[in-house]
Amino acid sequence: MTTVPNSALDPEVLTKRFFEEFDRLTKSSDTFSKLAANRLDIQIGLTPKTVIWSLNKAKLYHFTPAVPPEQRHPVPILLIFALINRPDIFDLRPGNSFVEYLLSQGYDVYMLDWGRPGLEDAHYNFDDYVLEYMPRVVRAAQRHSGKRDFSLIGWCIGAMITTLYATMRPDDGIRNLVLLTAPLDFADKNAGPFNRWLTTEFYNVDELIRQHGNVPGSMIDYGSKMLKPVENFISSYFKLWDNLDNPAVVESYMAMNKWVTDLVDFPGGAFRQWVVEFYRENRLMEGTLKLRGEKVDLRNLRCNFLNVIADKDHIVPTCQSVTVMDKVGTRDKLLLHMRGGHIGMMVGSGANKRVWPQIDGWLKKRSV
Amino acid sequence: MTNTRNDALDPTDPVGAWRTMRDANLDAWAKGMATMVNTESFSKALGIQLDTMLAASAPMQKMVSQYMESYLAQASMPSRAEVISLAQRMTNIEMRLDDMDARLDDILFAVRALATVQESTSVVDAPPAGDAAPEPDATPESEEKSAPRRGRGSR
Repeated sequence: MTTVPNSALDPEVLTKRFFEEFDRLTKSSDTFSKLAANRLDIQIGLTPKTVIWSLNKAKLYHFTPAVPPEQRHPVPILLIFALINRPDIFDLRPGNSFVEYLLSQGYDVYMLDWGRPGLEDAHYNFDDYVLEYMPRVVRAAQRHSGKRDFSLIGWCIGAMITTLYATMRPDDGIRNLVLLTAPLDFADKNAGPFNRWLTTEFYNVDELIRQHGNVPGSMIDYGSKMLKPVENFISSYFKLWDNLDNPAVVESYMAMNKWVTDLVDFPGGAFRQWVVEFYRENRLMEGTLKLRGEKVDLRNLRCNFLNVIADKDHIVPTCQSVTVMDKVGTRDKLLLHMRGGHIGMMVGSGANKRVWPQIDGWLKKRSV
Repeated sequence: MTNTRNDALDPTDPVGAWRTMRDANLDAWAKGMATMVNTESFSKALGIQLDTMLAASAPMQKMVSQYMESYLAQASMPSRAEVISLAQRMTNIEMRLDDMDARLDDILFAVRALATVQESTSVVDAPPAGDAAPEPDATPESEEKSAPRRGRGSR
């Protein structure tokens, strides 16, 4: 029930509110003009790190540890993000960085940057990323850390890659596998717009790859934004306008915007495989997926397994992530339902209070 | 957030009513659009749009590609396909170098471990003769890590 204050129609109060709003608009205009002129910039991915290995466009980073060696967990962590965005989302801003949090909890953290594919990488598919790149990445991390056992954290398409790798190479030293909003099961063709758009007979993926080589990042970005067109193309700007006088909100928006607009092309071979073998034919869950002729059997996944899903994920509906729990061969497995969206679950305002401690709690017990 | 949504109308807020109406309209529009993009007809329209765009660009792309190949051949310059092929071969070479590097590290580690075993054996066999040199520490954690290869830098 609305309670109307007694001074609601007091001219002094109204005048005061008017001038407060005018003052806010003045400050907002100043910030707006700087934004429009690209004079406001923000850096992301600021946690100190070193490149310890590279291959083609891929780079493996090691973050400078935050605690002395004797206080660190003996099992290091390797972070794998999707092919189509920058991995800086793991380390967005000081105070809102999953990497920073892991380092403070005593983990040794590595992160893979897949790089930006060129036309010479258009032939790469998941076979190459899982069976050529991942073993070399893991080997480099093991040699650098001096430890054989490690934890693997995969997010989005990175979760698919890490799942395939853990299944195909279970003896490579993977102690723990953590999946974040993993798109694995595409059985439900009505689950989310992506499933509908990519499975329609009118989506000519072969011609798209033939003409472009790699799928342009702008096309992927357009598709992602079309999942929620009003929010992405209109509402977000109004929200920014309403809060231009709040530096914390502006900084948060700028950081996320910087990451979102840093587009990466999808390698053509991988995109074709993603659409045909995963989205359309659901080969992983059907048990018919083969990588380099070798069958992928999820029962071979024997490491400790944590599957984190977001209840408001419009990019990867929860049904695409849960069915894997019954298919993996490990007995130590846990499904965590968390609040948030596909990205917001890990970088939203409540991530460091809700999600990160849960992941840390689960990993800590399995990193001794 | 400076301005949080407040469904209760504040009569002292000059633009509150407008903001509330704006947000309500946007929410309704967003729900409608989210439903619409999830329909079969929209996905069909999107697919047709993409198909049309690809069909329109194909002849132009083919013409430009043929012209460029012909021009580059006459100018004795490598074509796109040739440069791409070269880059792929370089990546293969890089992979082999990485594998060789790893094998060399394994050999080095094995040799050092063997040297450690031999030294400790010779120390056991030799008669005590004053101060002996300390044994090298051959555990992986304390071994000098493979030096970062190929000029990597810090960030």
